[in-house]
Amino acid sequence: MNRFVVSLFLLPRNLLVLLLRGYRAVVSPLYGDVCRYYPSCSAYALGAVQEHGVVVGAALAARRLARCHPWAEGGVDDVPIKRKRRYTVTRFGFVVVPSHGKG
Amino acid sequence: MDLIGTILWPLKWVVELLLVGFHWLFDNAFSMDPAAGLTWVLSIVGLVLVVRAALIPIFVRQIRSQRKMLEVAPQLKKIQDKYKGKKDQFSREAMSRETMELYKRTGTNPLSSCLPLLLQMPIFFALFSVLNDAQHGKAGVGPLNEELGKQFGSAELFGAPLHNSFASQWGLMTEGQPYSVTVMIIAATMVVLMTASQFITQLQIVSKNMSPETKASPMFRQQRIMLYLLPLVFAFSGVAFPLGVMFYWLTSNIWTMAQQFLVIRNMPTPGSEAAKAREERLARKGKLIATDGDVIVVEEPKKTSNQRQQPVGKNRAKKQSGPKK
Repeated sequence: MNRFVVSLFLLPRNLLVLLLRGYRAVVSPLYGDVCRYYPSCSAYALGAVQEHGVVVGAALAARRLARCHPWAEGGVDDVPIKRKRRYTVTRFGFVVVPSHGKG
Repeated sequence: MDLIGTILWPLKWVVELLLVGFHWLFDNAFSMDPAAGLTWVLSIVGLVLVVRAALIPIFVRQIRSQRKMLEVAPQLKKIQDKYKGKKDQFSREAMSRETMELYKRTGTNPLSSCLPLLLQMPIFFALFSVLNDAQHGKAGVGPLNEELGKQFGSAELFGAPLHNSFASQWGLMTEGQPYSVTVMIIAATMVVLMTASQFITQLQIVSKNMSPETKASPMFRQQRIMLYLLPLVFAFSGVAFPLGVMFYWLTSNIWTMAQQFLVIRNMPTPGSEAAKAREERLARKGKLIATDGDVIVVEEPKKTSNQRQQPVGKNRAKKQSGPKK
């Protein structure tokens, strides 16, 4: 029961993950490498949504996009990591509850 | 109004202003028929010219930092050698990370950033929705009033309405209703032209304007994939998008091609085929020494490497290098 509630809670962010994966598969290759940062803006957005959920993740992604302009220095810029991680990420990128362990 | 509509509103306004402005110009200054498709197509072309001209400074900046990359080429080579032959994901990531750090440290980031894309995409969407509204004879959000909107929506080029798409005509055809072959022919022609211009642009870059270091990088492989993926995208959008939007895209592609041609001819990437060709061209005219300080820096190492080394006997070589003790 609890698992079901958590999955429901994670649904919005997984939908966004699906959307971002689609973008990265279809639209990103069209432009090649343009981003002045590592990870690129779309990879950052994906990581931010996985780590922080839709609201905070989207805000982080928006902030990053605003920083990605021709006058920016660029460089390595990772998603801030949460101190306590509750979920795991599948190979595709979906956020799930760990199937074993203390939970 | 929804969120996307609110974001697009100012852009739609500007797109409409530019469209209407050019339309007015062609109507009054060149006394063209305001309702003709050609007038509206030229207005779209004018819109592209303004948008792309506004993006030139960003492009120039990108070229400049690509030139500066020559200075860090040895360090870049070091990183590439370190990860040579390592194709697993972690090595690739670590390599990108180190490369980016190098760019930042030396201020030589050659990438253009996401801003130009971020700017162009909404313009494209805005034009799409302006054309879509015009199809239903609706007025735009600003300068494109109802009268002009209707005129735009019903404008025809060679008898093909600009708001129609290949898909809409195909739908009519399969339903057995009257459809326009001209729309389909124009759409197909544009897909072919877009693919051709894209291919030429990419081939020019790949075959002429790439240094050996870039050709060895994973970025190059990605660009190759792009080369074969894009025609599919063009074919898909050529079927789905209205002719007016396609004209925007085609003109934009042609601009890219011409811009790339000029850059490859006049400011080629150091160490590439095009750079050698340019040097030869200048040498033939006796103008190898450029007035631009930038260019001299680029060409100096080339000149010394072309110079023939005088063969020296064993004993003399020892003398020249001095006593080694």
